[in-house]
Amino acid sequence: METTILVAKPKSQWLVRLLNFWRVFTKNSIGIVGLAMLVVIILMAIFAPAIAPYDSSSSAEFQVGDIYNPPSAAHWFGTDDAGQDVFSNFVFGARVSLIVGFFAAFISIIIGGVLGLVAGFFGGRWENLLMRFTDIMLVIPDLPLMVVIVALTKPSLMNIIFVIGILGWTTTARVVRSQTLAVKSRKFVLRARAVGAGNGHIIAHHILPLVMPILVVQAVLVVSLAILNESTLSFLGLGDPTALSWGQMLNYAFGRGAMSIGAWWALLFPGLGIVWVVLGLTLLGQGLEQVLNPRLDTHHLMPSKPTVQSGRVELNPEKGALLEVQNLSIHYINEGKPAARAVEDISFTLSKGELIGLVGESGCGKTTLMLSLLRLLPSAGQIVNGRVFFNGKDLTAVGDEELNTIRWKEISIVFQGAMNALNPVRTVGEQIAEAIVKHMPAMPHEQLQARVTELLDLVGIAADHKEHYPHQYSGGMRQRAMIAMALACNPQVIIADEPTTALDVMIQAQILELLDSLRKKLGLAIIFVTHDLGVVAEICDKVLVMYGGVTAEYADVDTIYNEPRHPYTQELLKAFPDLTKPKKKLSSIPGYPPRLDALPAGCRFAPRCPLAFDRCRTEQPLLHKLGDMHFASCHLVEASK
Amino acid sequence: MNKENFLEVRGLKKYFDAGRLRLFSRETRFVHAVDGVSFNLRRSEVLALVGESGCGKSTLSLLLMGLENPTEGSISFEGRDITHLNDHERKGLRRKIQMVFQDPYESLNPTQTIEEIINEPLLVHGIAKDKKERDERVKKAMEDAGLKPAEVYLSRFPHELSGGQRQRVVIAAALVLEPEILLADEPVSMLDVSIRAEIINLLAELRITRQIAVIFITHDLGSVGFFADRVAVMYLGRIVEIGTMLEVLEKPEHPYTKALISVIPVPNPRLRHERIILQGETPSPIDVPSGCRFHPRCPVAIAICKDSDPPFIALSKTHQAACLLLVK
Repeated sequence: METTILVAKPKSQWLVRLLNFWRVFTKNSIGIVGLAMLVVIILMAIFAPAIAPYDSSSSAEFQVGDIYNPPSAAHWFGTDDAGQDVFSNFVFGARVSLIVGFFAAFISIIIGGVLGLVAGFFGGRWENLLMRFTDIMLVIPDLPLMVVIVALTKPSLMNIIFVIGILGWTTTARVVRSQTLAVKSRKFVLRARAVGAGNGHIIAHHILPLVMPILVVQAVLVVSLAILNESTLSFLGLGDPTALSWGQMLNYAFGRGAMSIGAWWALLFPGLGIVWVVLGLTLLGQGLEQVLNPRLDTHHLMPSKPTVQSGRVELNPEKGALLEVQNLSIHYINEGKPAARAVEDISFTLSKGELIGLVGESGCGKTTLMLSLLRLLPSAGQIVNGRVFFNGKDLTAVGDEELNTIRWKEISIVFQGAMNALNPVRTVGEQIAEAIVKHMPAMPHEQLQARVTELLDLVGIAADHKEHYPHQYSGGMRQRAMIAMALACNPQVIIADEPTTALDVMIQAQILELLDSLRKKLGLAIIFVTHDLGVVAEICDKVLVMYGGVTAEYADVDTIYNEPRHPYTQELLKAFPDLTKPKKKLSSIPGYPPRLDALPAGCRFAPRCPLAFDRCRTEQPLLHKLGDMHFASCHLVEASK
Repeated sequence: MNKENFLEVRGLKKYFDAGRLRLFSRETRFVHAVDGVSFNLRRSEVLALVGESGCGKSTLSLLLMGLENPTEGSISFEGRDITHLNDHERKGLRRKIQMVFQDPYESLNPTQTIEEIINEPLLVHGIAKDKKERDERVKKAMEDAGLKPAEVYLSRFPHELSGGQRQRVVIAAALVLEPEILLADEPVSMLDVSIRAEIINLLAELRITRQIAVIFITHDLGSVGFFADRVAVMYLGRIVEIGTMLEVLEKPEHPYTKALISVIPVPNPRLRHERIILQGETPSPIDVPSGCRFHPRCPVAIAICKDSDPPFIALSKTHQAACLLLVK
């Protein structure tokens, strides 16, 4: 039995979405200004008979002696060559310009949308045919073609609408096609196919909703283009003589001596009308794009200012530690929202050649903590307390220039997702060389090349891969290249942010082996950020388990795995598959980590903790020292201390 | 119907055209994505397909779903050949074989509500026309997938849910059709370790409560213990070892399986052990090595491995491996 494709959706659902969209849109000042400009003109066009002091369609009222009168109380915009009121013509002209603009754009959008969708979705021969046709249409200059067609046919309003509409779809087709191609390759479309959905269903439910935002923005721009085209045609004398548009007003004024008489009003006001509408549409389009296109909503990492904390006690960093973090707290402060306490009161030390594992679920603040060490937080993230000592120097207090001598040269980062962190259009060798040159600009070319080869060799990439581009590298090799880049300036500390996530187990083992050997060979200190306790057990010396921005447990690696005291650590270990006991059922931690802007009042783990009691829900536990190198923040630990 | 051949795959091959070597070369090259795979799946059995990226496990899942057509070989379901079906027959079959995708962030349409997503399969197949019946099925699927109470989630959008909850939505959208086989392609690899156990336990529960057979595709041998009945290890388009979970994990015979098992992180620093880390990466499936396809990376390869393709050697009634060292 054939199944129906179209579904009646509950109306309220759409209403909710529309209201949501409106709520976001009203916050966009550019879009609102554009919309307001447009609404004024549209209202003027609709209520033209009520607004215009004179009826321009009837010729009975104009007086012959009043040709080209300057603006006055009777004629606000002056009069034109036939003694007609320019203001009245302007008001009625808006009708014609808008009607042509909207209808022509409607035709363009329908043609462009359908062709783009078909070409993008079905691909193959159809796509080739349609897109070559589009290319041909794009190279033909629109205006001369329009002029020829309108000149050959009767210059009526209908013809003008059709000509502009039929020639204005090319950009829409291209935009829609590329968006369709992008949406088509997404996983949820494959999932819909696996469910058994046909093409019609997929287009209606999965492609269109995601193409629509771009189409709406495109439509606004096409309307403004159509209005401009209409004005141009009318100005050239090809407008419908029975329907006076702004372009035609310009044409009449220009052709009948307004310039030589100095009757600027006959030219200025229709011109302003066109500028006003096109500007309004452009602003509206830009506003819509900012609201509808999520890709424009990015936030950049910005070096934050050194923190100046009042009344802080001078502390001497622990002797022998390379990096010492003391009571570090970071809040994300956004206007109008409660501060998100992303990291609170974290302390740890790291010595030369040591490898510390920083473990936690996503959203527990571990990336924030790492970025803050080099003050690379997004601008909302602020270090509100604590210090970071590197070789005795407080990184939270030094100036930007001094910090720049430490970033990368002393402490460098290997980022998660090696493909995104490499520039696709430059060879890997060039990118590594760039990292060196940025910090040692004086290095001669030969020495630089030798250093790049040396670095690649260090991470196990043969020198002949130097000239290759990132896409020619496999996932594991890219991660190696990222490590080579981090090693470029002989740093003392490397922060590795989930360097093996998304890699296959064998490649993961290779990268772990590489990091371990680098630490032994170069005496590197490594901070290894991960959510995977198994990886940590393989190579780390000590482990800091974070939960909801605070330290749950901090101890040497053997203690963490064999004598964990915090319930979170214990639960995490139970959730981890252990191949030595393959028949054991895995236990999971019910619930989800807390949101950092809505933290529970007591212990942050209490809502998920199997051992929680009343006190846990009201009082945040302190970090208790359980041994020389063992700390845990739990009320239960306090009792047994 | 024989219980053994609930789903039966025989000599399945899929080659993709990789274009010509040079512009005027006559020889067309092929990607040997799946290169002769055979196995059986029993009713309500969990079979784990394990291998690194590029071993063909994802192509195999697309072949089983009928989203790609095989170059050679056959697939039969409940004794009926389903290798080549027309659209109509395929659609009917889809109700019985459903898929759970790897990335719960990408496999949900961001513009649909959870209700629309889980309702969609019912609309596509035109089942449960009555609104009340449909709502009931949606609710049941959601609660079976651990989204309780269902009402809380119905009108939410995917971005409002966590990764684990999203994966539950994907599973609920598969369950709503009441399938008999669930193909789970790396369903936990994008999730945090603490959530992984939850999803695996959910799948394990479903095979008991709903008698669903699960094909669990993963690169992580560590996650198949407890849950899988049998394990098949794939390398470069072929199964190199297949056996019960305990046979493969505790008595692996193929050198590749041994290496894979040795690199699984053990969550105990006292048990740090020698790992067999294979160097390099899986060779390109365009130029498959001669003889045993694993020989260039094999730590124990001998001279004949280069020339002769190893047959499957039966090690027990249920355990087989393709390695020349096992030939007696």
